[in-house]
Amino acid sequence: MPLPAPFDFLSAQLLVNAVVLFAMVHVILITVAYSVYLERRISAYIQDRLGPNRVGFDFGLPFLGFLKGMIGLGQPLADGIKFLVKEDYAGDRVDKALFTLAPIIVIVPAMIGFAVIPWGGVWNCPDISVPFTSYVIAGGPVLVAGASVNIGIVYLLAVASLGVYGVTLGGYASNNKFSFLGGLRATAQMISYEIPLGLSLLAALLIIGSLVPDAIVRHQVNNGWLILSQPIACVLFYIAALAESNRAPFDNAEAEQELVGGFHTEYSSMRFALFFLAEYSHLVTSAAFFTLIFLGGYHLPFIGLTSPESTGLLAVLVKFLVYFGKVVFLICFAIVVRWTVPRMRYDQVMMYAWQAVIPLALAVVVMTSFMVYFGKTALAPMMIANGGLFALLMVFQPLLPKYNPNRKLALYGSRFSPVGGEMVSTRPTAAMALEDRPVQGTVKA
Amino acid sequence: MDSPILATTDLSSYLPIVLVVLMAVGFAMANIVLTMLLGPRRAGRTKGMTYEAGMNPVGTARKRFNVRFYLIAMVFLVFDVEIIFLYPWASTFANLAPGSDQSLVWLVRILFFLFTTVVAYLYGFRKGVFKFD
Repeated sequence: MPLPAPFDFLSAQLLVNAVVLFAMVHVILITVAYSVYLERRISAYIQDRLGPNRVGFDFGLPFLGFLKGMIGLGQPLADGIKFLVKEDYAGDRVDKALFTLAPIIVIVPAMIGFAVIPWGGVWNCPDISVPFTSYVIAGGPVLVAGASVNIGIVYLLAVASLGVYGVTLGGYASNNKFSFLGGLRATAQMISYEIPLGLSLLAALLIIGSLVPDAIVRHQVNNGWLILSQPIACVLFYIAALAESNRAPFDNAEAEQELVGGFHTEYSSMRFALFFLAEYSHLVTSAAFFTLIFLGGYHLPFIGLTSPESTGLLAVLVKFLVYFGKVVFLICFAIVVRWTVPRMRYDQVMMYAWQAVIPLALAVVVMTSFMVYFGKTALAPMMIANGGLFALLMVFQPLLPKYNPNRKLALYGSRFSPVGGEMVSTRPTAAMALEDRPVQGTVKA
Repeated sequence: MDSPILATTDLSSYLPIVLVVLMAVGFAMANIVLTMLLGPRRAGRTKGMTYEAGMNPVGTARKRFNVRFYLIAMVFLVFDVEIIFLYPWASTFANLAPGSDQSLVWLVRILFFLFTTVVAYLYGFRKGVFKFD
């Protein structure tokens, strides 16, 4: 017997959605916590240090001594507890309401983006009987994702770009010059890199012709992963995703040599931790996004269980593990990029976006739309077209006007780049300084 | 076993998104409330001072900022609105018959649309909007 009137919207799909969401929130949070640990371990390995390798799960209790060590796996838990018991302090001149609101606005978009990721593909759900009643929810094929909506990609893009509000607000509410400058920089950078993100995604979607996440995976199962047929768009997308989540080499918002901590200079305890968590969950979400668009989602070639045709429970689990493995691989890749590539200067970051990445992304979109018009969207012609575009770029690039941002600006009173006709001498003029008196302690006996 | 592409259009399929938003807001609020309850609380005159690398803070941070950020925001609006219009186009254009007359019309129209953006870009470029020094 189907459910009665007020509850008849409850389908097997919605129940599966709720279960997947509830599970995935925890999986994502644990992944975020351990990607911080992973980052510290990998950076330690790259810099020939040890990194966190002591904290286990023994909490200093003698009878839990067997949980000691564990190559530092208890570190994220210890960090979390430490964040909770630290003082939640706001300075005197801070706008208190906005100051508290900003981390919430940052963390919420970062945590809800993964809802449309098709982690497990389609599952053939059996009929679900409601306990203690005779009601039965009809089974059938359901999508193992947080939400099975048909505008998944637009949702992902929209949510990903909401994070910029929290960053702006955090920088403004702190009433601190470092925070304000950091917030401004982060805002300008994030909105600038949103454009190549959208354009390179568009180049991929032009081939697929659908905004449904599961349809994108299926297209790649049948026609090869898009990383092969759209390599330029793939690289641009990765660059834009790194810059969107304020990761190195684009982490100018918190360039500590210039701006202390950037927009979260004034933050402490859990409110700071929320910013920190948001950065990493943004990383996880964009890794999942990248996997969905360019790495074939849950699909692995030559493994039958990961094709959309297999809908058993085992297939769903295998698909989830494959998808998650790709996400973890991308997180590790981003970490290695962070500790390998030096941070770009802020003007370089912005000029890179507006003078290089955006025109190139536009060119890729135009190229792809011509290929779609001629119906040549298979793997081989797309690879040839991409190679052709790249060759054209290499030919065209030396002809572009050179602009050197490293020139010296004339500055009044400067010894190194004086204003025209000015002679600046920095020789000491005070009588005492001109006396030949050695500094104490440097006199030779 | 066939497995159809599942993408519902009815409003009830957005319920899980409401659920995940509630979960995320709950997580954030719970963390902030917990740390307010668990953490210590001590005030002080110098402690409440704005951090300015250890010096006494000078003035406020509510100051005028470089107009370049405003220009970037304006140009961003132009491009972002354009991209939003391109998405519905992209999802339909790929499903038209390749090489057909209708497909050609769609291609030429969108190329003109992109051309207007390129003109805007070139104008901004000549005006020095994209120069940072």
